[in-house]
Amino acid sequence: MRVTRILLLEDDAGTATEILLELAAAGHEALHRTTLAGAAEAMRESAIDAMIVDRQLPDGDGLDLIAALRAEGRRTPALVLSALGSLDDRVRGLRAGGDDYLPKPFALVELAARLEALLRRPEEGRATRLIVGPLDLDLLGGTATRAGRLLGLLPRELKLLDYLARRPGRIVTRSMLLQDVWGYTFEPNSNVVDVHMGRLRRKVDGEGEPALIRNVRGQGYVFDVPG
Amino acid sequence: MFRADPVARTGWRWGGALAAMLVFQSLVLTAIFWGFANDNHRRAIEHGLADDCTFFALTPAEERPEELRERLSRDIHREQFLALFDARGRLIAGNVARLPAASGVGRSIVAAVAPTELPGRTSDVARLTVCAMPDGTRLLTGVDLDDAEEALRLVWRSLLLALAPGLLLALGVGLMLGRRAARQVDAVRRLTARIVAGDLRERLPVSRRPDSVGLLWAQVNAMLDRLQLLVADVRGIGDDIAHQLRTPLTRLRAGLERGLREASDRGAFERVMERALAEIDALLGVVAALLRLRELEDHERRSRFTQVDLARLVEDACDLHRPMAEDRGVTLVCLVHAGVEVRGDPSLLMEAVANLIDNSVKFGPALGRVSVELDRRDTAGIITVRDDGEGIAVSERSLVTQRAYRSPGVVRGAGLGLAMVKGIADLHGFRLHFVEGESSVQLICPAPVDHTSPNSSR
Repeated sequence: MRVTRILLLEDDAGTATEILLELAAAGHEALHRTTLAGAAEAMRESAIDAMIVDRQLPDGDGLDLIAALRAEGRRTPALVLSALGSLDDRVRGLRAGGDDYLPKPFALVELAARLEALLRRPEEGRATRLIVGPLDLDLLGGTATRAGRLLGLLPRELKLLDYLARRPGRIVTRSMLLQDVWGYTFEPNSNVVDVHMGRLRRKVDGEGEPALIRNVRGQGYVFDVPG
Repeated sequence: MFRADPVARTGWRWGGALAAMLVFQSLVLTAIFWGFANDNHRRAIEHGLADDCTFFALTPAEERPEELRERLSRDIHREQFLALFDARGRLIAGNVARLPAASGVGRSIVAAVAPTELPGRTSDVARLTVCAMPDGTRLLTGVDLDDAEEALRLVWRSLLLALAPGLLLALGVGLMLGRRAARQVDAVRRLTARIVAGDLRERLPVSRRPDSVGLLWAQVNAMLDRLQLLVADVRGIGDDIAHQLRTPLTRLRAGLERGLREASDRGAFERVMERALAEIDALLGVVAALLRLRELEDHERRSRFTQVDLARLVEDACDLHRPMAEDRGVTLVCLVHAGVEVRGDPSLLMEAVANLIDNSVKFGPALGRVSVELDRRDTAGIITVRDDGEGIAVSERSLVTQRAYRSPGVVRGAGLGLAMVKGIADLHGFRLHFVEGESSVQLICPAPVDHTSPNSSR
């Protein structure tokens, strides 16, 4: 697989170092720029697979860069970072052409997981049937079977499993699940997501079967394709 | 440092201006009075003088001296001048020694005459006229102006006498007004100096029946009240953050310290680190929650409200929490009245309901029952979340909706949940209500006023 090249536009040295280390650990090649102008140049000269863009930069708002690229018709996925903790910033960020939005401070795991999600966006929509390993999801009929065994999932659980199964081998964080499966942008006080996931795992992974859903402590969940 | 108004001389200025006005007014009054009086007096005299001329002209020439002396003898006040001169200007009879140098014939003039019968005086000022008699002699007739001068002096003296108290009064009133103005300005300046120094408690004195300045001050005071509230609020946020963060930070520090000292192997150290990370996540959660609370006060968000189906929202919230409730042995019952719609931010409303359910499940008794109901009363939707616990003590009800409050018995949790619900309710114009006598919280959502008019959008 080709090495993915990520453009990081972030002017804070400390944050940038951490992100660069994380990107390197994930096996990405990273280009670091601290100004809009520098980033725009990098975008012109190199093939970039995805970008991580901070908003408050010395020479402007990172959203402007994304908006400019979108105006040129470039669809490079963009993850927007921001210390502006506003509820509406997310909306504004997405409206400007950002593909995902992560408010600072964030966990590096969250950043990595969301970047992964951007880089390998599954084809959503058309498929109403998904077969992954022993799993067979019939989204239209609302049923799921594992090796022929009917799992008896609730609609929400089916959605959760579908979301995970489309992202095999990748960490999916709780906030991603809340955001994408439930459509909520707030963080609940309790571990509601974990409880739901617990139930789903008990239904999916029967007695003696290899676990398909794995909990990564402090990070999220991974759907493992057997074999 | 506060310096008294250097223009306390305003007083003097006011006084001076008033005094000048008064003097000017008095002078004009006197002049007009004097002018009128003088004119009257002159006309009366001229009338008399003309009469004299006519009378003597008609008197036979040989009787004139006698008649003249007769007249003079009747003038006991000695204020009349009468004299008859021959064609060459020599005195024939009368009490004036000679004809005055300038003697306009026919018109009266004011001139000096040389009286002959006033002891000790060789000259006197008189209004006089000289008229020619038919036989060529000339008659001088005049009236001593001593009286007039006396009158003028009187007028002047009364003017001065009246002016003195007037001027004093003007200066006094001016000083008073000026001082008053200066005092008012000083009061405001002192106040603003205090405000600049950071003290917002002082207020301007407003009397019971305020004048226009008083009304202005009342306004300034009202503004300060609001400002003080806002500042207190801002300070409160600082306090909130400090209080919210101190405990977890202390815990975090202690944990790390112990981990550094005691964790012997990698596994133990990893556990310490994981606990620390969890603490930090909780801290970040607190910070995020506080920030969000602030944003809820920005009513600009209302412009993004949409139609929200409360029934679906409540059901979703129940679904989200049901597994968690079941894990705790709590029965979560959801009774939803369909067809209740409000205008709002679905994500925020979801958060509010989720918070209420979360609280009930967490703080209600284990193995108990939590019911979530959506009712319709008139046009209002009422979301009631009830558990079998004791609920929130009456004394704590107003406290729990404040930012930093945490019930004394509750150790964990950010203590921001209900404050968030309150903030969301306020933003939507909804009401958070604690039902008396049970552990039940209601979110009362009045139906939207018809929003078809586009006044909510910009």
